[in-house]
Order: sequence, then structure tokens, then C-alpha cells
Amino acid sequence: MHQAPLDHWFVTQILTHEAALLRYLHRHWPHPDEVLDLRQEVYARVYEAAAKATLTQPKAFLFTSARHLMTDRLRRSKVVSIEPMGDFDPSHVLVEEVSPERWCGGRQSLKWLAAAFDQLPDRCREVVWLRRVEELSQKEVAKRLGISEKTVEKHIAKGMRLLADALSAGDPVRPPTASIAGAADAHPYAE
Amino acid sequence: MPTLTPNEIEARAADWLAQRDSGHWGASDVTALDAWLAADTRHRVAFLRLQASWAQSDRLQALGAGWSHAGPPPRGYWHAAPADRRAQMLLALRPARASHRPTPRSRGQRLVRAIAMAGCCALLLSWSWRNYTHVDVATYRTAIGEVRTQSLLDGSQATMASNSRIDVRLARTQRDVSLVRGETIFAVAKDPQRPFAVAVGGYRAVAVGTRFSVRRDRDDLRVVVTEGTVRLDAPHTDGQTSPSSLLPAGSVALVHDGSVLVRSMALSEAKQLLDWRDGWLVFRDTPLQDAVAEFNRYNTRQLRIADADVAHLRIGGSFRWDNQDAFVRLLEAGFPVRASTHAGEIVLRSR
Repeated sequence: MHQAPLDHWFVTQILTHEAALLRYLHRHWPHPDEVLDLRQEVYARVYEAAAKATLTQPKAFLFTSARHLMTDRLRRSKVVSIEPMGDFDPSHVLVEEVSPERWCGGRQSLKWLAAAFDQLPDRCREVVWLRRVEELSQKEVAKRLGISEKTVEKHIAKGMRLLADALSAGDPVRPPTASIAGAADAHPYAE
Repeated sequence: MPTLTPNEIEARAADWLAQRDSGHWGASDVTALDAWLAADTRHRVAFLRLQASWAQSDRLQALGAGWSHAGPPPRGYWHAAPADRRAQMLLALRPARASHRPTPRSRGQRLVRAIAMAGCCALLLSWSWRNYTHVDVATYRTAIGEVRTQSLLDGSQATMASNSRIDVRLARTQRDVSLVRGETIFAVAKDPQRPFAVAVGGYRAVAVGTRFSVRRDRDDLRVVVTEGTVRLDAPHTDGQTSPSSLLPAGSVALVHDGSVLVRSMALSEAKQLLDWRDGWLVFRDTPLQDAVAEFNRYNTRQLRIADADVAHLRIGGSFRWDNQDAFVRLLEAGFPVRASTHAGEIVLRSR
């Protein structure tokens, strides 16, 4: 595959399962601080494999790669963990319906986005809003807020990371009024 | 290059993206970024991940569509019921009260100052209130067989199909259009401070700057989005917040009997639904009764179907809506249909 289609494939077929992948890694790996490292490594492995051959079942391949990676790491580590590791078999993850909806549109994704956005620190939230919603350039944002362009750039970089994490953190913070979900479910949707 | 931790890689990827976003971005930066991405697949995947979620964040615009104040709404704004949102908006519009301590002055001096201030305030208030509350109201109609593009005062364009009526209210913080009947394509002038909403029977299609059409058949509603994004808010019933659907370009939303059906189709296909603007009606495997209903929207001389056999014939093709005769001739030539004219209408029956 060429670079651009491969990148697109990776974003739409692999990254959309990030929340499920993180749940899977957290469930089976006893060291939470290493999960980020595992995630990155799994992504890199999948990307490299896809560059060489067409993967017909991207989701299954992603979880199998995650399992192999954990097994490899366990073998290499000198210290045998005494914590219960459970079964690495990802089959139960595959039947669990994890919708890639939040990336691909739909009403749910807006709620996720709102929750993710609300978690940003004040200044960062303001900068992201001005840049993305009011569509000011970074330069204009700097002028409006009376801060340096470099600072705006830093806030943007920070916002990007925090939004990415929040969007994949699994279920969003539940809104205090539960009726939103109930009312939304009353409407049938079709693709 | 020393191996970076995942955290450092992600931070570096974010720096690249933020720098590219800043506009300070030259050919040497492109080369340097390409080299960094090629150096390690972990760099590339971290970069792709942040790029993808950042691209998602442009849908914040859809969230901002109801917010008309500069800067972001307060936290929790979108989790509040619409009524609370209005209150929050008003709260944000109110200027922050500066705390000040009066310096001791003579009573008379203070009284004079107070009266002068009150006078100024009253003047300023009445002037700004007039500006603030100024609303342009207009109603536009098209006759049967007329398709017209109407420029609105905010710079938006409304292309109205035959036999349509829209009521337009342009206020300082809000642009409201009510589609009373028919169908209209809106090319909305961009103005994030003033969301553009088209209301039909309690449903509202809210846009920031985009191109979409709204069509009304009695209580049914169809929204076709051909550019940008539109948010469709359902009417809110007592005690319940209204569910919203986000419609990206290429979406067709159908509202029937209070339920919303959203289809996403190829953009070219969605645009075909709006070909009436150029004088065409496009059918694809369409039951004849639907095609006839479509023709009847555009012509005073109505087509009438006399029996079920004719009603269920399926037809396809592109037809000029102002050339009813050609359509009828083609039907007679290609299908077992006979047409006869009675008292100003054309009756179609099976042969």
C-alpha cells in the first residue's frame, strides 16, 4: 500500500478501536503505566504489517497483535509476575460491539467531543475554541488573548494530546441529566 | 537518535502538528517532518493518531452553532437542558461587574453625578437596545412553476422551489427561517456569531456556514446537506431534552411521524436530489406515483393516476419539470400507459 491510503486505512480501521484496545490492555497488563507504551508498540507493529500485506480483518489483527506483544514482553521479562493475568484471548473483545461511531460521526460522537473539550484546562480550552470554532489563525488567537504566538502553539499541541486521550478514554462522563440518552434512543437511525 | 519514550514521541508529534497549524511552515519543515516520520514507525502512528483526533475536533463547530458569544461556553453547557443553556448564554452576555469602592464625597456632588450617569445610561441603553433588538423580518413566496434564488439580507442565498414559502427573521444573535411549505436550498453566509436555523414543525436544522436544503411535505421533512455540517434538533417535549443529529455533507435526513432516519450517500448522489434548481427532476427506479407527485409540485396542470397498475410502474431518468408534455409522451411510448386530458388535468391509466 502507498503511504496516503495506508495512513487513511490506519486511521479508519485501526485507530477507531482505540477505546476497546485500551480496555483490553488494561484488563490484561498489570502495569498501567506501561499501557501507553504497549499501545504505541501495537500500533507500530500493525502499521508495519499492513505496509507489507493487505489485512482483511484489521480489528482481529489489532487484538491478536496486542496479545502477541504482551506474551513477548512476559517472556522477555526476568521477573515473573505473580499477579493474575487472565486469559489473553481477545475473542470476547471481538464479540463485544465496540462502535467506531465516535470517529465516524453520529450523535453520540458530539457528546463525546463536548465531554472531551470540557476536560481541557481553561486557557487551552479557550485557545482550541478560538482556533477551531471561530477559526482564527494562531496569530489572531495570540492577539485576541494577549499572549505570544509560541504560547498559542503550545496550547494547541497540548489540546491535541488531551483531546486524543479524552476521545479514547472510553465512556464519557455521564451527564447529570440522564434523559438525553433516553430521548435520543427513541429515534431509529440507519446508515 | 536516542530512543524516545512514548510520551516524548507523542509530545514531539503534537509539536509538529501545532507548528504546521501555526502557518510558520516552510519547505525545510516539510522535509524535516518527513524525515522524522520515516525514522520510526512509532513516530508515524503517534502523528496519525493526533492528526485524526484533531481533525475530529472541527466538529466543535456543530456544538458551537447555538452559542453566539465570543469565546467558549462555560463547562457543562452541552449537558444542560436547552432552557438552562439560554440562561447560561444570557449570563455570559452580561458584563462582569467591576468591584469598586466609592470615595467619600459630598452628598450633593454624588447626587449630581448619579443623575448625570443615569441620564447617560438611559440614552445609551435605548440606543443600544434598538440596535440589539433590531430584527429584519421578511416573507418570500414562489408561485407554482417558479424557481427563484433569493438573496437574504445577511448575504445567504435561498433557492426556492416551486410553490414554496419561507419566513425569515434576521436578528443580532440568531438567523431564523421558517419553511412554511415547499422546498428551499440554503447557501448560508458564514457567521459563527449568528447561527442559521431552519425550522419545520418543531424540528430545527442549524448551520454555521454551509449548503443544505430543507423540504416539507405536510409534517414530513427532508434535509439534504451538500456542504459543511448541519445539526438537526428535534422538537423538545415536556421535561425531555431534544436529541440532535449531526449531518455531514452527503447526508439525507428524513423525518416521518416523529422519527428521524439518516442516510449517508455519495455527495454526487445527494446533489442529484437538488437538481430541480437547474430545471431537472431526477428519478431512479421511482414509483410513478411519486414521480407524478413531484411533477405536480411544479405545474398548475396536474397529473392524476387513475389506477394502481400505473401507480406502481417504476421509472428512471432526468426530466425538465417545465416540460410535462414530454414526460407524458415518454410514458406513453415506453409503458402501457394512456394519457387523456380532462378539465385541466392529465389522467394516466393503463392500456
